[in-house]
Amino acid sequence: MTALVITGTGAVSAAGVGMEALVKALAEDERPRADPAALYPDPLPYQAVPALSDFSVRALLGRKGTSFFDRATSLAVVACGQAIEDSQVTLGEQVRCRMGVALGTTVGSLRSSSEYSRETLVAERPYLVNPVLFPNTVMNCAAGQAAIWHKLHGVNSTVAGGRLGFLDALRYAVNLLRRKHADAMLVGAVEEFTPQRAWAHYRLGAPGLPGEAAAVFMLERSGAIPPDGRPPLAELAAVTGGFHPGGDPAGLGQRLAECVGHALHLARLSPSQVRYVGTSECQGPGDEQVAKAALGGSLPAAVRSLDVAAVLGDCGAVSAGLQLAALLARYFEDPAPAVLAGWTVDGGYQVAVIKEPAHAGAHRQ
Amino acid sequence: MWPPDDSGGRRVVVTGLGPVSSVGIGVADFTASLRAGKVGYSPITSFDPSGFPYQMAGEVSEFVPAQVLRRLDPSRWGRSSQFAAAAAGLAMRDAGLDGGQVPAASVAVVMGTTSGESQVVEELTAQAVAGGGGQAYEPGLLTRLPAARLAYAASEELGVTGPSVTLANACSASNYAIGYGYDLVCTGDAEVAVTGGADSVCRWAHAGFYRLGALSEKACSPFDRDRTGILTAEGGVAMVLESLDHAERRGARIYAEILGYGLNCDADHMVAPDAERIAECIRLAHARAGIKPADVSYICAHGTGTGSNDRAEATAVRIVFGDQPPPMSSIKSMLGHAMGAASGFGAVAATLAIAGGFLPPTVNWAHPDPDFSWLDPVPNHSRPAQVRIAQNHGFAFGGNNCITLLGALR
Repeated sequence: MTALVITGTGAVSAAGVGMEALVKALAEDERPRADPAALYPDPLPYQAVPALSDFSVRALLGRKGTSFFDRATSLAVVACGQAIEDSQVTLGEQVRCRMGVALGTTVGSLRSSSEYSRETLVAERPYLVNPVLFPNTVMNCAAGQAAIWHKLHGVNSTVAGGRLGFLDALRYAVNLLRRKHADAMLVGAVEEFTPQRAWAHYRLGAPGLPGEAAAVFMLERSGAIPPDGRPPLAELAAVTGGFHPGGDPAGLGQRLAECVGHALHLARLSPSQVRYVGTSECQGPGDEQVAKAALGGSLPAAVRSLDVAAVLGDCGAVSAGLQLAALLARYFEDPAPAVLAGWTVDGGYQVAVIKEPAHAGAHRQ
Repeated sequence: MWPPDDSGGRRVVVTGLGPVSSVGIGVADFTASLRAGKVGYSPITSFDPSGFPYQMAGEVSEFVPAQVLRRLDPSRWGRSSQFAAAAAGLAMRDAGLDGGQVPAASVAVVMGTTSGESQVVEELTAQAVAGGGGQAYEPGLLTRLPAARLAYAASEELGVTGPSVTLANACSASNYAIGYGYDLVCTGDAEVAVTGGADSVCRWAHAGFYRLGALSEKACSPFDRDRTGILTAEGGVAMVLESLDHAERRGARIYAEILGYGLNCDADHMVAPDAERIAECIRLAHARAGIKPADVSYICAHGTGTGSNDRAEATAVRIVFGDQPPPMSSIKSMLGHAMGAASGFGAVAATLAIAGGFLPPTVNWAHPDPDFSWLDPVPNHSRPAQVRIAQNHGFAFGGNNCITLLGALR
């Protein structure tokens, strides 16, 4: 099969709407922070959070069709639009039927489901919920609304991978492209900043600050979507993973180390060629142990970290997506192979290898 | 090597079934109920339904996790994860693969769901309401929240180490999971895939469907002129898929073969189904399986029992099959709507139809709908039939359509 290439990116993060804002914040270590009191009236355990302070889906997409979007849906629909635009694809009917969406998540919009549930407890009658908001409670709302907004009739899927959401979606999308269920996939993930997620983060004692983001990439079989020859930004050189029952950090690190080796083998790269690495962050004290066991011995010492949580907060399912965005930003100056290694405390793990496109110098400016 | 090619040359068969449903736990009870047209819904007990005008649901009241689970500690997992793990365990036992006959790394798990650990969300929400906000969330409960844990619970229960993925495609999620598992075995990424789905009954879905006008008071009567809607239900379901070679080598009992699947998206409305896109999805599935409409002997319907679903579904079938479509029944008339597990139960029913030579009925059926009077819903009683190819429908919020095709092994 022809190469799997990334031909477009879309990112919405605490840094703002678009890749440019994200790249600037990461390059200058800006650490954008918003006052949560400006977002929600609820008392929250944080004074400053990596969230978008002035995000308005209505301002970006208009009022029609967006009135009932929850925040996660809004972020995802905007990021999908950016990735489509960035890929320069022309969306004819045929292309629309062969272009799909795969979005990673943890639980969809916890705010939407939780508030719906809350209404059944506090309303005068338990059934006095708003029917229009009901679709927001299902986890595939963001992907479904993205398809409606951008009129994409191809496969539409939501992958609940928690911190592996993006990498699980990436692997799922590879299967669809490989088996020709689709010619191109918008692959990404989304998490929203809400009081529910903020309190969950706090009560779990998770490190870092709860953040929010959507990162979406156009992934396609090279040449499958006309016009041929749109210059790719990067090549997906491998993605593979598994599950470690019990999830003990030492054992998980060992499995992950083997998986990194296997992924590099699939990508026909040696560990010494790897120059960037991203890892799962913000889960807890086990993270460091897993990362050390997985990557400590095998990769070059000079490898550069793609980790983003210090700047953009804990973005859950989007973490590896933001790391991929950070990587692509660096590709303009310094393209080189990267390993994105993800895991969850429950024992899931996934490794992606990204490398520069075959025809160096073909980047769009 | 990479990039992977389309080397999906391997045939994939179904060798194990694990239903945990409102009409029975395990393949024997489930089959007997389908044959008898047994109804599984009853007055709600998993939450306090007082104040709700309608109070029926398809709960799996007989489910005692400790009786089914061998490794998983139920106290650490939510109800949907327990359903997924129990279903996976039953399916592997049914397949004769519960004794480490396959290397752990070659077994993948793919589970589908609509609302994941919805009861955990509801419990956390109740804590917040009672305790003045999110500071009342109990940390132990929060660890059970991620929907990824449905597949993880099954992998943990089986002690397997292949890919473990949860697809959250709402009410067609199990069909998506079966499709992904089928591909993993087809391509050799896995030798065995345990695929299905799980969901739990919850207040918010009961309220939401009621307010959409899509909830029935006492009974679900799909394709009936006077149908009034769904009954929410729950459960877990799993199918063991493995390569034909692998199954034959070990002398496994083979229920049926997976012939292929089709997927697409309405991309028009979050809730209202689109008959034309569903028809297109049927055609995609037929093309992938290399069959013609006339080859299909039975359709296991999405058949929710709402006015709009049943009309759109019947219309789509008419578009593809013309004047003489095969019989199409809805097991939701018996189980209720088990959400993310629903199309998995449908796939099990379709498999049993092939292997057992019968058509599951649509119960509670009394009047033909004049809009599709031509439809044979297999009214009220199961009937013997030779089923060569069965088509299993799954549609969902978000317009996520997926149709799987199963066939008798040739």
